[in-house]
Amino acid sequence: MASQGLAYDGCNFFRQRLVLSTLSGKRVKISNIRSKDDNPGLRDFEASFIRLLEKVTNGCKIEINQTGTMLFYQPGLLHGGSVEHDCNTQRSVGYYLEALLMLAPFMKTPLKATLRGVTNDPIDPTVDMLKSTSLPLMKKFGIDGEGFDIKVVKRGMAPGGGGEVFFSCPVRRTIRPVQLTDPGKIKRIRGVAYSVRVSPQMANRIVDSTRAVLNQFIPDIYIHTDHMKGANSGKSPGFGLALVAETLNGSFLSAEMSSTPQGQGDPMLPEDLGRSCAKLLLEEVHRGGYVDSSNQSLTLLLMTLGQQDVSKVLLGPLSPYTIEFLRHIKDFFQIMFKIEVQKPSEDERKGGDKVLMTGVGIGYSNINKTLK
Amino acid sequence: MDGEVKEKKQKQHQQKHSGPKAERKKLKKQGPSTEEDARKRNPKAFAVQSAVRMAKTFHRSQDIKTKKHHIPLVDRTSLEPPPIVIVVVGPPKVGKSTLIRCLIKNFTRQKLGDICGPVTIVSGKKRRLTFMECNNDINTMIDLAKVADLVLMLIDASFGFEMETFEFLNICQVHGFPRIMGVLTHLDSFKNNKVLRKTKKNLKHRFWTEVYQGAKLFYLSGMVYGEYQTQEVKNLGRFIAVMKFRPLVWQTSHPYVLVDRMEDLTDPELVRTDPKCDRTVSLYGYLRGTHLKNKGQVHIPGVGDFQVADVNFLPDPCTLPNAQKKRALNEKERLLYAPMAGVGGVVYDKDAVYIDLPASHVHQQQEEVRPTTELVQSLIDTHATLDAKMAASKVSLFSGSATLEPEDVVEESGEKEGLQEESVWDPNTQRKRRKVVFTTEEEDDVSGSSDDEDGDGEDSDQEEQGEDEDDDDDDDGKENLSTFLKEARAKCDETEKTVADAPPVKRQKLEERKVESAELPAFADSEDDLEVSEEESGDEGEAKRAGDSGHCSEEDEEESGEEESEGESGEEDNAADATMKEQTASEEEEEEEEEEEEEEGGLRWKEGLKQKASEAFLRQQQAAPNLRKLVYGSVVEVDDSEDEDQELGGLFRVSRPQNSKKFQANAVDSSRFCPDASHNWDLEEMLNSIRDCFVTGKWDESQDAATLLKEDEEMYGDYEDLETGEVHKGKTGPKDPAEQNSEGSGDTENDEDDDDQEESVVKVDDDEALKNKRLEKKQRLKDRFNSEYDDGDATYFDDLKEELQKQAELNRAEFQDVDDETRVQYEGFRPGMYVRLEIPSLPCEFVTNFDPHYPIILGGLGSSEGNVGYLQMRLKKHRWYHRILKTRDPLILSLGWRRFQTIPLYHIEDHNGRHRLLKYTPQHMHCGASIWGPVTPQGTGFLAVQTVAGVKANFRIAATGVVLDLDKSVTVVKKLKLIGYPEKIFKNTSFIKGMFNTVLEVAKFEGASVRTVSGVRGQIKKALSTPPGAYRATFEDRLLMSDVVFLRSWFPVTVPQLYNPVTSLLLPVGQKDSWAGMRTLGQLKHDLGIRYKPNVDSLYKPVVRAQRHFNRLQIPKELQKALPFKSKPKQQQPKGKTPRDLQRPSVIREPHEKKVAALVHALSTVHNFKRKKAHMAQHAKHKEFLQQKGKQEEAKMQRHKEARKKLYRAMGQADQKKHRSSLKGGSQDD
Repeated sequence: MASQGLAYDGCNFFRQRLVLSTLSGKRVKISNIRSKDDNPGLRDFEASFIRLLEKVTNGCKIEINQTGTMLFYQPGLLHGGSVEHDCNTQRSVGYYLEALLMLAPFMKTPLKATLRGVTNDPIDPTVDMLKSTSLPLMKKFGIDGEGFDIKVVKRGMAPGGGGEVFFSCPVRRTIRPVQLTDPGKIKRIRGVAYSVRVSPQMANRIVDSTRAVLNQFIPDIYIHTDHMKGANSGKSPGFGLALVAETLNGSFLSAEMSSTPQGQGDPMLPEDLGRSCAKLLLEEVHRGGYVDSSNQSLTLLLMTLGQQDVSKVLLGPLSPYTIEFLRHIKDFFQIMFKIEVQKPSEDERKGGDKVLMTGVGIGYSNINKTLK
Repeated sequence: MDGEVKEKKQKQHQQKHSGPKAERKKLKKQGPSTEEDARKRNPKAFAVQSAVRMAKTFHRSQDIKTKKHHIPLVDRTSLEPPPIVIVVVGPPKVGKSTLIRCLIKNFTRQKLGDICGPVTIVSGKKRRLTFMECNNDINTMIDLAKVADLVLMLIDASFGFEMETFEFLNICQVHGFPRIMGVLTHLDSFKNNKVLRKTKKNLKHRFWTEVYQGAKLFYLSGMVYGEYQTQEVKNLGRFIAVMKFRPLVWQTSHPYVLVDRMEDLTDPELVRTDPKCDRTVSLYGYLRGTHLKNKGQVHIPGVGDFQVADVNFLPDPCTLPNAQKKRALNEKERLLYAPMAGVGGVVYDKDAVYIDLPASHVHQQQEEVRPTTELVQSLIDTHATLDAKMAASKVSLFSGSATLEPEDVVEESGEKEGLQEESVWDPNTQRKRRKVVFTTEEEDDVSGSSDDEDGDGEDSDQEEQGEDEDDDDDDDGKENLSTFLKEARAKCDETEKTVADAPPVKRQKLEERKVESAELPAFADSEDDLEVSEEESGDEGEAKRAGDSGHCSEEDEEESGEEESEGESGEEDNAADATMKEQTASEEEEEEEEEEEEEEGGLRWKEGLKQKASEAFLRQQQAAPNLRKLVYGSVVEVDDSEDEDQELGGLFRVSRPQNSKKFQANAVDSSRFCPDASHNWDLEEMLNSIRDCFVTGKWDESQDAATLLKEDEEMYGDYEDLETGEVHKGKTGPKDPAEQNSEGSGDTENDEDDDDQEESVVKVDDDEALKNKRLEKKQRLKDRFNSEYDDGDATYFDDLKEELQKQAELNRAEFQDVDDETRVQYEGFRPGMYVRLEIPSLPCEFVTNFDPHYPIILGGLGSSEGNVGYLQMRLKKHRWYHRILKTRDPLILSLGWRRFQTIPLYHIEDHNGRHRLLKYTPQHMHCGASIWGPVTPQGTGFLAVQTVAGVKANFRIAATGVVLDLDKSVTVVKKLKLIGYPEKIFKNTSFIKGMFNTVLEVAKFEGASVRTVSGVRGQIKKALSTPPGAYRATFEDRLLMSDVVFLRSWFPVTVPQLYNPVTSLLLPVGQKDSWAGMRTLGQLKHDLGIRYKPNVDSLYKPVVRAQRHFNRLQIPKELQKALPFKSKPKQQQPKGKTPRDLQRPSVIREPHEKKVAALVHALSTVHNFKRKKAHMAQHAKHKEFLQQKGKQEEAKMQRHKEARKKLYRAMGQADQKKHRSSLKGGSQDD
């Protein structure tokens, strides 16, 4: 009766494995987690992630050996509902939220999650970015409706944290197939320059320097400055910028940058941050595709879990994370994508090579949702 | 049927001359015109009388219109659909086999003896049929109802409906309703024509109520030489041939195979040593339903869940004819495929060809009949299989070589099939001759095949050796490899086929490699081959690295970063400095992300800008396969590692992927994609490279505002007056004629192409071109108008339908021109393919007790459908089942593909959403049921039976329902009342004891509300120290010591975790319908003779009522005093003793006094008597007097009456006289 399990080595792509395991119902055994490390075993943030997974599921079974170098995960059914979680501050809320975005549409009851911790740090995609890119992307797959939102209630910078994010998502029974092959041209650039526990002027300085770079391409730039004070400002000082470029066909490309956390490395000038963030956006535009690099895996997952129809999406160069994700999808769902490289023609000036991913959904239906 | 038709022809149609029908017709004849006239004549009569009424009618008509809509579905049927499964059902001796035989004969002109297993035939140019006979085992009925497309339901008209028919109909209803066609047989047993007609009608109407009104019912009137009448069978065949099917939810969302062939692949030696060892079996059949993924999980109803080791598709044994021009099929194309029935003597496996001789077939049959000689039989069998294996291994090499060119295989087999079918026609002697034909063909094939035959021969030898020795030797593998490598270098196309591994692993690897080769035919140059060889040599230990050309595979890179950079430097000589930069960067990131570097390497487009065009071209050539390989290339190794994990200590370990993994295994897990460090966004050329991504950049010709404007102008500024033929021209010049031609030949749908050309201004002197252009433009305008006009009244439904239509087209078109090997990887095996599934570790009973009369179905399971959990379902006892069902009695459910026994708990939902446990299912109502069972998608129907063993007279389907919810926990509760008694009563506070046992228990229930039987409500306050478990509670009123206090609570119940698949297929032949699982409590008691001992208190006894005694009413003295005299109690009790002073002394008489008193008494008695007597006399006298008086009175009255009468008469006469006289007098006066 028991379905077969999968076995992996090492802690990398930890989230992918657990998320896909939860969605496919296959058991997972991860061994040799930092077994050669001075500090072996699972880190606190991974443990925190497991705890979050436990909160949103019902009946999952997790076994971890004494040193924490081996993990056995038997998934339960996704339950959802109101969840509060104190995320570990080693990683930002984005780390946890990325996984929740993948799981949320397939819950039994709509998810209403309150996540506390670091909202912005340089390692993971920040909440602002996920809000501005992932949500519109998921809407393309038919995940839409009332209460589909990410709200930054409090902002907390690394390393102290103290931020709070509210994420709510409706549930869906099936996912629509999509044809996202033409991103169109960028019509506007929006952004959020945030600063907490520093001078509010920092945000303005960021905006100015960013505009200086981006104005070469398009005049329609509006960067919102978001300075949070008092109880909403978290525990550590910091500032940063998240930029989104919106195209005519409703695709969103984003780039972001946060100041280096307090006491970790050289401090950063807001002007430099603004400029380099703008360049990151240009880089993202150069990569192109309908989906930006951090949402590639989410897109591919939703394509996989769609109905048994052909979906197509144009991506920029595949990120290593996505490549591993594709492999994992093959492991868990026995699905391969057709990968075609699209070369830009000689006279076109639209950035680098694009990758056209074509796949057939597995006809996944949300087995958690209750039939009334 | 025939006779009926003739009869109808003879009978004239009689026109109705009277009645409503005739009138209606008459009206119709003059009808419409008159109404029209009326409308015109009297428009006011037809005006809107009431807006409300009109709205209502409109609403109603819209409702009716909308009701007709079904939710549109994407049409996912493949171009070559699988054969239609026709299940022939009916009670025994009703003529099922005869009907199948007749139909097969009708379609293929072949006679089949025993119908064993599915029989597939080609029935038409586009249709194939699979016939399957369903016996009367309820297991078979359930299984076949799930896979049937069309059900031929045979009914014995001479007998009427039997229970099986209704059972099957109900099974069908639950598992999606396939098409059902009724067939009435035994009609010849009716002698009386009237009775026959009446019976037909009755049966038809009953059938209609069960299926749907107007369901097709066929009549087979009689038998001719043991067969049905040809004409009737032909008609039935025609109906089947044109039948349309609707998609059923379960079938379209799950892949399934109705197995028509089974081969035992277990090592004969293993079977010899341990006859009970698990078997490896390959099963064959057409894939139906939806796409099947390799290595998925399947459920075999009656056996269990299994992991598929391998799936591959084989050439179709029943191909549809190619030529489409003809009207009918020729004899060659009327194919028949029924391996289980012993037809189609030659069968092609993946790597073997089996020749089924009739003798061996008989032999097999014997084996099935006599299971007692199992051991001997198996021994004989092993020998036979070994031979076959030997033969197969030889052949396998050839076919192995052929696997590289699948088309060859298809062609080859196609040729053979044609012959094969021919031979089936012939008697047995000719069959052998056909065999000769086959061998020659084989020879031809061999000689005709590629020139590496010798090499293949060597390989085959080696492989044979390997099999004989039966040990997996590395050295042997190496040898193999080395010989193979030589060949590989000589001829790069066929390198992939040899393998250096143990047989089971080998096969897998071979396929994967095959896949690769099939996928990259264009890039299968020497480099790729080398890579592959490297992969293999990895086992030996990364021997050589020579000849590693510029485009380096991922594996190389994974091995060492340095080498990778070297390789890259080889690739990009011109951009040496850039590469150096890259290299340093890669070294930095080496530990973190290995693949990322590759990514950069593969997509180092930046240099492409600077590089020469030739190099760019070269890179373009390589990029595509690289990316694919980059992503999925290493999947092979991942799979291997998985295998190892599964094998746990297998001999072979691929060490390289492990090494490569170590680099990235414990890296930071982040989805962020670090930017390419080599991009310098300060440079103008970099900025220019993305200019066109913005709206401010250059647009496509088709989208550029200026161009569009121009086009519009041209389109609308230029028109032709159709009446006069005048041409009004726009401003733009004419187009290039050459381009126009191409445009004309191209198509009309995309405006963009046309518009591109409109800019070019070339002088034109050709009138034809101009005319063409005009026509085109007109067409375009028309199209645009049409699209706008149509969109106007397009409803949501139409839009949705169109969208789905588009999706269906895309689905079909996307992978159409990809070859099957690759296509299978992207979308899985598509329905319609003939597939072979290899399943390891099947129980040996599956093979030893194999009975082809029972269907073997491989039902694919979706993701996580292989898990178990709690299912919440809505259930209703079937109205024809004669008992209600009891909670916790085991029940056999048919849900999804599965049949299993489980223990349900029935419950019902209260108003507040609480699931309250029920002891029994309600009689006529739905209730909830919770079971522990396999995870199945919500909305799946199920049916329940109490037992599958034997045949009972009663209706067997106990309940039906649908799955509502899946969870890992249940929330069913039952009511629990805790009872306590007052210990001490204060005013409104009481101490209650006896409800709990400890203080802790009380603490848990603090604040809970309690109630007494008399309805006084209260609340638990706090625990008391003594006695333990007592507590203080307050109530809304004072309690009595006799009150009983209770606390209502809900206690969660657990669902027993029983999931027991019905393994009916594993039972010995002939006993397959005798599966018995867990017994119900009632059965158990019945079987063991245990009688239920009732609680004495619950028994009914005669009611004995004690006499009731009421006490007297006590009125307090004070109250009594205050009462009015009327209400005062009146001397109800004797007075108390009179006090002594009031007591009077008794009188004692003297004798004289006594005498006097006696005399007085006597006198008074006499006096009294006299007086009484006198009184009586008086009374009598008076009575008489009264009587007399009455009489007198009466007489008097009489007299009076008469006198009065007289008087009145006189008065009347006088009056009359007077009146008359007055009248006279009056007239006189007047």
